[in-house]
Amino acid sequence: MKRILLIARREYGAYARTVGFWLSLLAFPMFAVLGGGIPLLIKSSEPVNQVVLIEDGPAATGLATAVREALQADVDRRAAQAGEAKQAAQAMVPTGTEAGTEAASPMLNSAGASAVAALGRSRIRLVETPADLAAAPQGAEQQAMVNRYLGDELPKAERLDAVVFLTRKDGHPAARVWTARTTNNTVESFVSRSLRTANSRQVFEAAGIDPAVVAETERFDPEVTAFSPSSVSGGEVSFRDRAPAFIGLASGFILWSLIITGASILLNSVMEEKSNRILEVLLSSASATEILTGKVLGVALLTLTVMAAWGGIGATSLIGFAPDRAGEIGQVLLHGGMLGYFAAYMVGGYLMYAVLFAAIGAFCETPRDAQTLMGPIMMILVVPILVMQMALNTPDAPVVQILSWVPFFTPFLMLARLHADPPMIEIVGTMAGMFVTALFMVWVAGRAFRAGALSDVKLSWKSFVGAVKGGR
Amino acid sequence: MTAALTLDGLSKRYGDFQAVRDLSFQVEKGTICGFLGPNGAGKTSTIRMILGLQSASSGRIDILGSNDGRKVRDRIGFLPEERGLYKKMTPVEAIAFFGSLKGLPASEGRRRAREMLDAQGLGESKRKKMKELSKGMSQKVQLIAAVVHRPEFVILDEPFSGLDPVNQQGLEQVIRDLAANGATVLFSTHVMQHAERLCDKVVLMARGQKAFEGTVAEARATTPRFLELEGVIAPEQAAGLPGVSGVEVASEVDGVRIIRAALAAGGRGQDALKAAFLNGLDVRRFELREPTLHDAFIGLTGDNPDQDQSVKVAGMEAAR
Repeated sequence: MKRILLIARREYGAYARTVGFWLSLLAFPMFAVLGGGIPLLIKSSEPVNQVVLIEDGPAATGLATAVREALQADVDRRAAQAGEAKQAAQAMVPTGTEAGTEAASPMLNSAGASAVAALGRSRIRLVETPADLAAAPQGAEQQAMVNRYLGDELPKAERLDAVVFLTRKDGHPAARVWTARTTNNTVESFVSRSLRTANSRQVFEAAGIDPAVVAETERFDPEVTAFSPSSVSGGEVSFRDRAPAFIGLASGFILWSLIITGASILLNSVMEEKSNRILEVLLSSASATEILTGKVLGVALLTLTVMAAWGGIGATSLIGFAPDRAGEIGQVLLHGGMLGYFAAYMVGGYLMYAVLFAAIGAFCETPRDAQTLMGPIMMILVVPILVMQMALNTPDAPVVQILSWVPFFTPFLMLARLHADPPMIEIVGTMAGMFVTALFMVWVAGRAFRAGALSDVKLSWKSFVGAVKGGR
Repeated sequence: MTAALTLDGLSKRYGDFQAVRDLSFQVEKGTICGFLGPNGAGKTSTIRMILGLQSASSGRIDILGSNDGRKVRDRIGFLPEERGLYKKMTPVEAIAFFGSLKGLPASEGRRRAREMLDAQGLGESKRKKMKELSKGMSQKVQLIAAVVHRPEFVILDEPFSGLDPVNQQGLEQVIRDLAANGATVLFSTHVMQHAERLCDKVVLMARGQKAFEGTVAEARATTPRFLELEGVIAPEQAAGLPGVSGVEVASEVDGVRIIRAALAAGGRGQDALKAAFLNGLDVRRFELREPTLHDAFIGLTGDNPDQDQSVKVAGMEAAR
């Protein structure tokens, strides 16, 4: 036992003492924030398109006005949304009494307001048609003028991003949109929406309906409330009712990341010891079982450290920015038994994968050596990632149910399905299967590890199976 | 003397390949035993079986009173052929870690590590990372790690490989000191000179089998002494000298030959020399050479110890 703890402590210390470990530990939450922030940043930094509208002939009269009105309506709608978002952001900033919090609030408000304002801006600005373009006769001369304004010939300030020719085709509004960049479809989409609205109004007016009534009808946003007898309140469905599904899915993903991270650390650690010829020295001082157990335990402690850090960052952020939601999530985790299941699936899942990866590492000196076996294993590991998302909306779909019984997928899929209260027989049965498989894997990996540690044979499925059969 | 190690009919088979065949020998307590043979002769397989890292296909091992090396591993020190320590550890940390795996308290391990590093001239490198040390320094650290717990039995697999002559000399002294302090030492090597200088006993291995067991002097005695004659001498004239056989012309320049021949057991060099003068042979140089362990090895096995005998074993059998 002492040797196991010594090996575990060395394994833990070897990684926990490095700056790289803590950086990679923080990378996940950092990327989670970036993952959400970058699309917003991209959206807010999109350039504003300078657009001119040209009514192409008398039949198109009134279409430019319709597009202008649509643009104004869009600007108003965005402003309203930005206002609501700003209010929500202000409500989320904690109103603490400490000086730090008070100092931070205006800063957060200002940053939030800037982001919201940027998002609220329309990406289209209608500008006056340049006199020479407006005066150009239709045909080749007008086309040459359009090309000039959309090309690089003019100074940047005078260039246009799009020229829209509005017309009517078979009595319905239509347009030809010329853009400077072929990939820019912002103007095309906006004009399309505007003309659809213009057409609706035209059709309704022709049918004798007041345009004001049409506008009012378009603005209507129905209030729909979801109810369910299985909701916490017994009636209206709230965040608290939907949280378990999202928490289950998130837990499945987090567990997957933790297990794969831990198992990969173990694989690399064993490979390093094999290539540095340390394994043979270790084997003369401790049994293969002690070495494997010590290493698995040491990396498990690392994994727990990662989990504690991620959990701490997540909990602190939630409590700081959304204390109500934090309470509800806490209830789901504690009272729904989610934490208990998470712990059980973590133990089983980690054991299955960690010992397997360690055994593979015992045959390899470089990651390239490990590819023969790691390739198929990683392909199989993608399956639960795909099926977990399905489990969010259809947790009882046959494919999800059947795959839950595959011990290597059980930890991830069952966590994602727990919100739908699967039958107890499924929970107990799959968990028993997982633990039996984990014990079998410990036995298999123990034999393979022992043989691989002293072997110079190149890793292959044949050599791996041979090692399991042959043992010491 | 009591035996610290006894091997009795030990064999190891990897599939169709017989790595060790019916090997029996003893190593007495407090002695230095050289386990000699070319690469691939079965030395490392035997050592792994002694340590319990691999199981024997047949035969019996008794080490420090146990038939399983794993049960007495805390009383054994082992330096493997291919060496390595954790690169990010300092020498003191590495030595203390391996000492603690053998049951040595960490503080005592650190104390002994510092003391032994100083004694080996590595005092300056105590705080450096292992990756910053030279190969020779790393090997010294590894040797200290193998013996820091003061084992009763020390097994060194090719301990001299990769060391420069100065460090080889230093290592020879370490081995002598270990034996002087009561430890039994078994070391494998394919370089016979180390064994000649160090060993109380040698076991010669060739192609998985024991070719000889005994003292260095006994090994040498199995091989005849050599005569080397230089002059304008015909091979037939040399063959006619008393006690001389196996005459070979080593070289010939302008009629001057160097002739080598074996001197039969009990034959005397001076008789051959006297006969040469009496027969009027043009002898310009006469040299009588005692056989080395290297010569004895070749004489006993017909193999050159410097020649690789290792065989690539397919499949997982190599690990069994």
